[in-house]
Amino acid sequence: MRTIDRYAYSNALRRVDPAQKASLTVLAMLLCFLFDRPAVGLLTLGWMFVLTSVWAQVPPRVFGRTLLAEGLFLILSVIGIAISVSLDHPGVNRAAWHIGGLWVSTDANAISLAFQLFARALGCAAALNFLILTTPLTDLIDLMRRLHVSETLIELMTLIYRTIFVLLDSLQRMAIAQAARLGFSSPGRALRSMALLGSQLFLDAYRRSWRMQMALKSRGLEGALRVLPLEYVYDRRIWWVGTALGVSLVVAGIVSCRQF
Amino acid sequence: MPSVLEWNDVYYTFPGTSMPALRGASLRLEYGQRVVLLGRNGAGKSTLLLHANGILRPSAGTVHIAGTPLDYSQHGLRIARRQVGLVFQNPDDQLFSASVAQDISFGPLNMGLSITATRQRVSQVAVRCGVSDLLDRPTHALSGGQKARVALAGVLAMEPRVILADETIAGLDPWMQQQVFVIFNQLVAEGTTVLLATHALDVARHWADLVVVMESGCVVAADTPAQVFADQTLCELLGPPDPWKETG
Repeated sequence: MRTIDRYAYSNALRRVDPAQKASLTVLAMLLCFLFDRPAVGLLTLGWMFVLTSVWAQVPPRVFGRTLLAEGLFLILSVIGIAISVSLDHPGVNRAAWHIGGLWVSTDANAISLAFQLFARALGCAAALNFLILTTPLTDLIDLMRRLHVSETLIELMTLIYRTIFVLLDSLQRMAIAQAARLGFSSPGRALRSMALLGSQLFLDAYRRSWRMQMALKSRGLEGALRVLPLEYVYDRRIWWVGTALGVSLVVAGIVSCRQF
Repeated sequence: MPSVLEWNDVYYTFPGTSMPALRGASLRLEYGQRVVLLGRNGAGKSTLLLHANGILRPSAGTVHIAGTPLDYSQHGLRIARRQVGLVFQNPDDQLFSASVAQDISFGPLNMGLSITATRQRVSQVAVRCGVSDLLDRPTHALSGGQKARVALAGVLAMEPRVILADETIAGLDPWMQQQVFVIFNQLVAEGTTVLLATHALDVARHWADLVVVMESGCVVAADTPAQVFADQTLCELLGPPDPWKETG
């Protein structure tokens, strides 16, 4: 999370209006869902890799590692679509293996469907990765405010995002203090230390929330967390890139549909 | 001439406790004063400060701001919090936004300033506190000293008459402390009263116009540094100036 956050603030597209970047992401995701073809998903993945690594200058390994984590999760999800498990033989039209009293089977349609879903989801994930690696969460929250998302939700996101880092620092300090006193020297002790850490972190969060509330009241809080809207740069190139992205995905989608 | 801030015989007990945190605390601050508030841990320093802007309400006694009793209605508290700025010891308790610029803008917007006026105020205060280059940075990526200056900027942006700094310099290196004192001295020169709660006796001795000593919820002394540090009883109360030396 800290890595994503760091690059979100330091990438070459940092100052660009988040509405423009979000438009690219939404366009790519919509086309992935509309055509629902592996070619469109994989082409989206390629586009987002280039935009993130070349244009935004985020190191390719960062994009790759983020996508890898998502990809592994997706693979676990689509395995259940590609493979069936039954007590009886599935029939002659499926490839089947008898393992420990169970029949594990698959066929071309199942594999094709699994791959189709995987490619679509991966394309969407890549589009979102482009957005989160080039846009700080504060900018995204500001965008949501501009889109008139519920003020309560926005305030919750503002406070939670800030507090995550404060509590992460607390967690790190407490864990180091425990480790320095042999708190993780055995599995049993580690378990006990983690339980104590969790409860202390909860208390820490509770006390912090009270102090933060006092600090906010001291600066005039009367219900809403009013802050300045952020200022951005409007980049015309985004619209050209968006046009090229959209056209290429539509062409890929149409060609894929005609072939199948 | 009315004082800028005054506590009159203030009593307060935290809910769920039997021991009063404040027992008849009285203190008067004048305009443009440099005040240092001393006292042991648990003496009631922070509790006293929290009464100044109506965060806590005394069970007995009154608080006056610019000669007017603190009004605890929503309107009254709004006015009080514009006039009395409170800077907390831990900046992480005060910085609620991940955006430095947005955090500093919070106070002025709550005061009713327009977006344009607020942007101008944020820029001015950022220059004053030396955080102009941090406005685009995320709050969680700042060092302790940077966070302290941003927290101070967030309070200064409201242009209060009084700044109450609760152990603000604790944990800052000497260079950072110097930067904070430069800001404090500028504020005092402009007529703002600055009260600093601290354990640093040297600051009280050499910087303050008024040294206040608290003990067990009472203000036991409020006088010039020369008078306070000439009093042997008070010196013993404040503790040894060189704690590393063995006694006995």
